Amino acid sequence: MWFNAKQFLKRFFPDRREAIGFPQVFEQFQTLLENHQAAMELMADLGEKSGGDYIFDRKYLFDVYHDMQDLLLRMVKGLNLIGDNKYYELYGTLDRIFLPMEAELRGRLVKTDAPYVITLHDAPIDNPELTGGKANTLAEIIHKIDIPVPSGFVITNNAYYRFLEYNNLGERIHSFLEAWLAGNEELNRAAGQIRYGILAGIIPQDLEREIKRFAQKTRTSWAVRSSAYGEDGELSFAGLHESVLNAYPEQLPEAYKRVLAGLYSPEALTYRRRMGMVGEEAAMSVLCQEMIDSRASGVVHTVYTDEPESDCLAIYASYGHGRTVVEGRTIPDRYVVEKRRPYHVKLREIHPKTSTVRSAAGGGDEEVPVAGELYEQSSISDETIGILAKWAVTLERYFKRPQEIEWAQGAKDNCWILQSRRLVIPERFSQPDESICESCSQYPVLIQDQGVVAHTGVGSGAVYQVRNNEDMDAFPEGAVLVTPYTAPWLARIVPRAAAIIAERGSPAGHLATIAREFRVPALLGVEHACNILRNGMDITLDTYHRMIYSGKVKELLRNELLQSTVFEESPEFRLLRRLIKRIAPLHLIDPLAPEFTPSGCTSVHDMIRFIHEKAVQELMDIPSSLHRFKGVKVWTLTSDVPIGLKILDLGGGIAPELTGDKVRIEEIESLPLRAVWSGIAKPETWSTEPVDVDFKGMMSSLTRNWDATAGGVSASGFNLAVINKIYMNLHLRLGYHFNLIDARMHDEQQHNHIYFRFVGGVTDLTRRSRRAQVLARILSAYHFHAVTKGDLVVARLLHLPKDEIRERLHILGALIGFTRQLDIQLRSDQDIPRFVDEFFSRNANPAQSPL
Amino acid sequence: MATKMKIMVLDDEPIVCKRLKPALEKQGYEVDAFTQSSEAMERLKETDYDIIITDLKMKGIDGMQLLTEAKTRRPETEVIVITGFATMETAKESFHKGVFDFVAKPFKLSEIQDVVSRAEAKIRSK
Repeated sequence: MWFNAKQFLKRFFPDRREAIGFPQVFEQFQTLLENHQAAMELMADLGEKSGGDYIFDRKYLFDVYHDMQDLLLRMVKGLNLIGDNKYYELYGTLDRIFLPMEAELRGRLVKTDAPYVITLHDAPIDNPELTGGKANTLAEIIHKIDIPVPSGFVITNNAYYRFLEYNNLGERIHSFLEAWLAGNEELNRAAGQIRYGILAGIIPQDLEREIKRFAQKTRTSWAVRSSAYGEDGELSFAGLHESVLNAYPEQLPEAYKRVLAGLYSPEALTYRRRMGMVGEEAAMSVLCQEMIDSRASGVVHTVYTDEPESDCLAIYASYGHGRTVVEGRTIPDRYVVEKRRPYHVKLREIHPKTSTVRSAAGGGDEEVPVAGELYEQSSISDETIGILAKWAVTLERYFKRPQEIEWAQGAKDNCWILQSRRLVIPERFSQPDESICESCSQYPVLIQDQGVVAHTGVGSGAVYQVRNNEDMDAFPEGAVLVTPYTAPWLARIVPRAAAIIAERGSPAGHLATIAREFRVPALLGVEHACNILRNGMDITLDTYHRMIYSGKVKELLRNELLQSTVFEESPEFRLLRRLIKRIAPLHLIDPLAPEFTPSGCTSVHDMIRFIHEKAVQELMDIPSSLHRFKGVKVWTLTSDVPIGLKILDLGGGIAPELTGDKVRIEEIESLPLRAVWSGIAKPETWSTEPVDVDFKGMMSSLTRNWDATAGGVSASGFNLAVINKIYMNLHLRLGYHFNLIDARMHDEQQHNHIYFRFVGGVTDLTRRSRRAQVLARILSAYHFHAVTKGDLVVARLLHLPKDEIRERLHILGALIGFTRQLDIQLRSDQDIPRFVDEFFSRNANPAQSPL
Repeated sequence: MATKMKIMVLDDEPIVCKRLKPALEKQGYEVDAFTQSSEAMERLKETDYDIIITDLKMKGIDGMQLLTEAKTRRPETEVIVITGFATMETAKESFHKGVFDFVAKPFKLSEIQDVVSRAEAKIRSK
């Protein structure tokens, strides 16, 4: 593909300096914009497919991959055509980003890329193939649910392959297993031989060094457990694999081998055979976690299996290490607790406790008698019961299956989650409910057939409406978020919500992405939701049928918990999410940052962003491409506002009958430019105190700059708008700061965007940063996603209807005027809110106006 | 309540079966799902299905053969074809006869549920 492109380019550029004329460049630019749009849409489409509302297959993933690659290749070619072949390096970037994705799609893990050891905190989620089921689950809990998990690290599958290869064990294990499966070898003997081989194996030095490096980071002992593929996911290997507790760093390599060997116990082998998973042990990770010297520990079942209908959970607890409960050494205390706040304890059974297990001094554990006064006491307090119950409900809501959760309480009474896996419910309870439709029909329907599904599922809870920041802090755990908007600032309460219903928004928007990340059922674009669903009402959302019921539809919730597929955990969905991770994250935000280069691109989105930015820059880079403007008509805007604006019309942006080279704002037909100008030209924008005097000075310098250059075009003072009927790319350099607005106003809202960048200023960085803060606060209030870095502000807004885009562009216009010399006046941080308020006093504050 | 409709789902990608089966069951249908077309073909010989949902391109016996077989055995069976966007037009051209409807993959759950409901209505109206 390299060579073809080269020849292709050569044909177009016989002499690089004799670049093609502007009309052709612009044609390329337009094509590039179209491809840019198509790539963005494809990216959004992928996100939407990860919400569960669609059924897709692997072929779809391949198709999208190829389409995406094709678009990016065109964009790279296009940019090189526009930019005189300056961006050749991007062809390499293309391969660097797309080849691993293809490997991923074809199921070929690039082994050399994967680490031997990785901390639990850094472990990728959605990749149980690398870290195993248990570690993957814990990584998800750490990142998505924020419940305390003892820190630790994972010795990955890649380490296991290394160990097998170094000791030539793969073949040996394989032949014993074959013989056993064929009935030629007895189970115990086969198991024994394999385990002997592993225990006698030598851990290669590079691997041992890695393990010790991580183990010695903290002064602690470690709990070493298996994290096999499939474990804790669809299958439960509960208690089948060996754990080594309280292992000191120097004991870790040995403990690692013991846990590996435990994978081949006769019990584990029998279980895997029954599940049709012999051979899957090629994937065996081991999890090492800081040892919690627990005063109490136990297990929570999120369904009380004695009475599954009761909507209660059961907590089992005893003193000391969890082994006491898990291995059934004593009868644990049992608490049956209601699954809703305030987690009322319905039943408590306290049993006498004679002995307990604790960490032994030199490693391992020991059994000791229980002190007299504790003998008949409840092993945990009501407060602890409340915490555990709350966590259990959260875990079940996230994983969408009844959970079996191991927990421990440290010496200081703080609790930890050690692991969470699917609770196996006796068959008789998980039979499909014959009349689920009929049961549902008994509940009043509040809303139906409205909105679009952002994330699929069923969720129930009390309505809590959020309209501004203050509402968010009081958002109760497990409530249903009902909101008029899908603004990015809602993101932080999403993990606490049982469901989300919004009056606006699209599945490609920011809130939808967050809802999918945290697996919260979400229905967007439900008109009048805020009027119908009032605060405190108990409701149930079913996205499968786009129904919102009054009350808690227990039958539906139970069916969802026990019956329907947890699509999020299917291999296809994991694969899709892994692809999305290589496609969608945007790291290159600041075009001025040193890493804003082809080699700085780490995702497809980065590439799209880089190419778009550079294409725009190439076009704007007037001095070097001035020769291209020969024969292209450049209009000059005549306006009361003293900004000398040059306009390039790509078609449809200016009234067709107009002649000459001057244009008045009334003759401009480009919707976005008109909208921005209506804000810029507001009388008060240019006439307020106290900057008036300064402003005059500033403008005169700008005008001088402009006039001083032959042909009226200078790099420093060039204000340029590239427009068509629905698109605008506007560069404004006012004094010492620089504004860029890129916007599209299409009839279909999914094509719409505003991209705003603001940087620079005349004062020191502190004041300029304050101005950036003022801007970011104002922009956030108008539901922009705004990021600041020093004096740079980058704000985006996507997929709003045309009228709302117009409104926002008007505001941006007003803001450009308002902030033009604001930095001079921002003497302290206290000035920030003052100026934010001042802006709102001149322009409608969206947080206070009716939404 | 009327007797349950029997539905066969055939797609060689397991995810399609895995998601369609519970969704249709929840709607009140009786569903058998297959990822191997040969197994589905065998089952056709012993079971009467009201509705068959099948992919077209599969290894071994493809959807076309299964469709022909099903229609020969039991003409009143309604067949819904699910196939990728790219193959959709060819699919529609190659045999318009006898197929109740086509649904392009990826599809929304509600789309297929609607088509199935319409097929059911047609069957019940006979």
